[in-house]
Parts: sequence; structure tokens; C-alpha cells
Amino acid sequence: MVEFRLPKNSTVGKGRIFTAPTGATNVKNFRIYRWSPDDDKNPVVDTYEIDLDKIGPMVLDALIHIKNDVDSTLTFRRSCREGICGSCAMNIAGENTLACLKPIRDIQGDVAIYPLPHMPVIKDLVPDLDGAYAQLRSIEPWLKSDTLPPPDAERRQSIEERAELDGMWECILCFCCSTSCPSYWWNGDRYLGPATLLAAYRWIADSRDEHAGDRLDALEDPLKLYACRTIMNCTQTCPKGLNPARAIGRIKELQLERKA
Amino acid sequence: MSNPNKPHVTVMRSQLSRARGLGSGQTGVAHWWAERASAVALVPLSGWFVIQVFRLAGASQPEVAKWGARPLNTTLMLSLVILTFYHTQLGLQVIIDDYVHGKAHLPAGLLMKGIVFLLGLFGTVSVLKLALAGSSRGRIAAG
Repeated sequence: MVEFRLPKNSTVGKGRIFTAPTGATNVKNFRIYRWSPDDDKNPVVDTYEIDLDKIGPMVLDALIHIKNDVDSTLTFRRSCREGICGSCAMNIAGENTLACLKPIRDIQGDVAIYPLPHMPVIKDLVPDLDGAYAQLRSIEPWLKSDTLPPPDAERRQSIEERAELDGMWECILCFCCSTSCPSYWWNGDRYLGPATLLAAYRWIADSRDEHAGDRLDALEDPLKLYACRTIMNCTQTCPKGLNPARAIGRIKELQLERKA
Repeated sequence: MSNPNKPHVTVMRSQLSRARGLGSGQTGVAHWWAERASAVALVPLSGWFVIQVFRLAGASQPEVAKWGARPLNTTLMLSLVILTFYHTQLGLQVIIDDYVHGKAHLPAGLLMKGIVFLLGLFGTVSVLKLALAGSSRGRIAAG
């Protein structure tokens, strides 16, 4: 449901300010969303003055520094710190991206960090992605083939068939795209969102998969697929440089093609 | 959870059940295609209409009536009116799907379609009236 105002218990208040240590010369402010399920308080934005000379170049370096040296209560997900696990997806300076791939120097002024938009918050920068994962599960993102593979070999693809999957297999399921999409904000309970639709097309386009028709059947729905209004935020925000909007467009083309 | 008074989990239903919902509606492509096809058809029709409005600027009532009675003009005018309102209800339905949820969704769509239908019908009747009135010679002057 579209909501133009935050519910009362979600309005963001002023938080604490963690001042930079004396002698710091290269200071940047990190304004970070904080909310804990353990008390009844509204979320706040805490300000951390960080000496950039003491940390690495990426936003994740700043977050790890804060957690290690400034405020150990700050909660966020991170794992690989090199853009392949998708854990540290968050909204940085107004754009969904991976903290580990976002250079601090690319951001003018203060660095505002919020959790991925319009998802339930578990704590601080940790969003609840269970619903998004279940949507991914619902499109059955695995090879479905009735033909048995050769007993002594793999299922083969030509170089061209394999190339069809480029730009899709690279998706790391960080859900930056889905949570940047207004259609997903308003209808996230039914619209599958760009990340899941990209995964769906990845299997429709796979030359080894024999269930493209079933997959298209499952997607032909006014909201599951067609709630995409080609807003293109997904492609704009993808930290891996992928193009979910193109994949959604291809699914719509195939839906039309099979009607003719 | 450390605060038992504020249960974190508010939905006990299976997440997969929620994601699958009631399954696919098995519609959507027709609406999506009709939106695009009608939009493309409206480009030349609207251009033609704008040109005609400029050509008829300052014309007298009988001249406009005579223009409206020509079969080609009547055909194009009817196409324009019908397609415009057809496209309008397709587009407004999308907005309702986006922003109106729950029990209000169905009545909102019906109300919108009813209003757009009546407006479109009014336009159609007006074009036909012009066409048919203009075809009976001699009565224009009286009108």
C-alpha cells in the first residue's frame, strides 16, 4: 500500500553525535540510521565523525571502523567485503548499493546511511529479506528438465547459448534493485521485483531448461510481472552493473510472442 | 527476543505461501499490449486532430458541421474519441492497481471505468450527432 508519511513509530529522530578524536584532520560525518527492537524508541540518526586517514577507502571500511573502535552496538551485515556476497547492501547517500563497493570519496558532504528502503527493519542497517527470498524461491530458480542428462557427461551448451546468460548469472541477490523500485514498495506483496524477475528470466533463457512455458505461465499476472512500470531504478542502482529492466522487458516480449 | 511484549514476528504464515499467494492471474499481457498499441495509434490520430483544429480556427458553425459530416472525418474522429477513452481507462487502471489496495480496489476500478465509459460515449454521440445532422441538407442553417 502506498504510504506518503511514515507511521508514527517510524518517524526518525535526532540521535547522538560521536565526535572525532582530537588531532583528526580529515574528518567526514557519517549519519547512520539506528533502530533497535529491544526498546520502544523510535529510530534515530546517529552522527559519527570519522577520521578518513585512519580507515580504508570504502563505506564498509568506515562501518567496520565504527563497530570496532567507536560504537560496537552498530549492527549491519557484511561478509566478503569485495562485492560478491551481497550482504552489505544498504542505502548510501540516497542510493541502494553495496557498502564494500562504494568509495567514500564519491560522496559529497555527509554520508547518510539507511537500511534498504521499504523493508521491515530487524535492527539498524539489517533489513528483513525473508519475503524477498520466498519470492525468489517461488519462481523455482533451478534447472528443470525432463530429459535426463547423458550418464557420463554434463548437459552441453553452445558458446552462444551460454552467452545468453551473461548479465544474469552475475546477480548476487543483494536486492538493491527490488528495494529501489516504487512498484515493489507499493505492491511488494504481489509484484515479484526486479531481482526475482531477473532470476526468472535467467532460467527461461537457459537452453538446458525445458520449462520456459510453465515459467511464463506462472509470471503472467497483472502484478507479479506487469506491476513493472519500466521506472528503471533497478538498472540505475545495480551495484554489479546488471540490467534487470532488460530481463523484465524480454519476459514481456515472450509473453506477447506466445499469444500470436 | 529480549522484549516479549513486542513480538518481532507479526506474520506467522509461511513466507513461501505469501510469495505464491493465489497464484498467477493468467492475465496481464493483453492489457499491457493494448496500452502500447492504443498509445501508438493515438500519435497520428492526435496529430491529425490538432492540424484540423488549426485549419478550422475561426470557421463558422455550418462550416464545422460540414467538416464533421464528411465520412473520413467522422471515422477518424470516432477512432480518436474511442481510442482516447479506451487508453485512458487502461492507464487509470494501472494507477489504481498501484495505489488503491484492499477492499477499495474493485469499486475504485468499476467507478473509474463507469465514468470513463460515459465520457467516451458522450464524445461518440457528439461526433455522431455532428455527422448525422450535417448529412441532412438544409437543416444546418436552422441549427
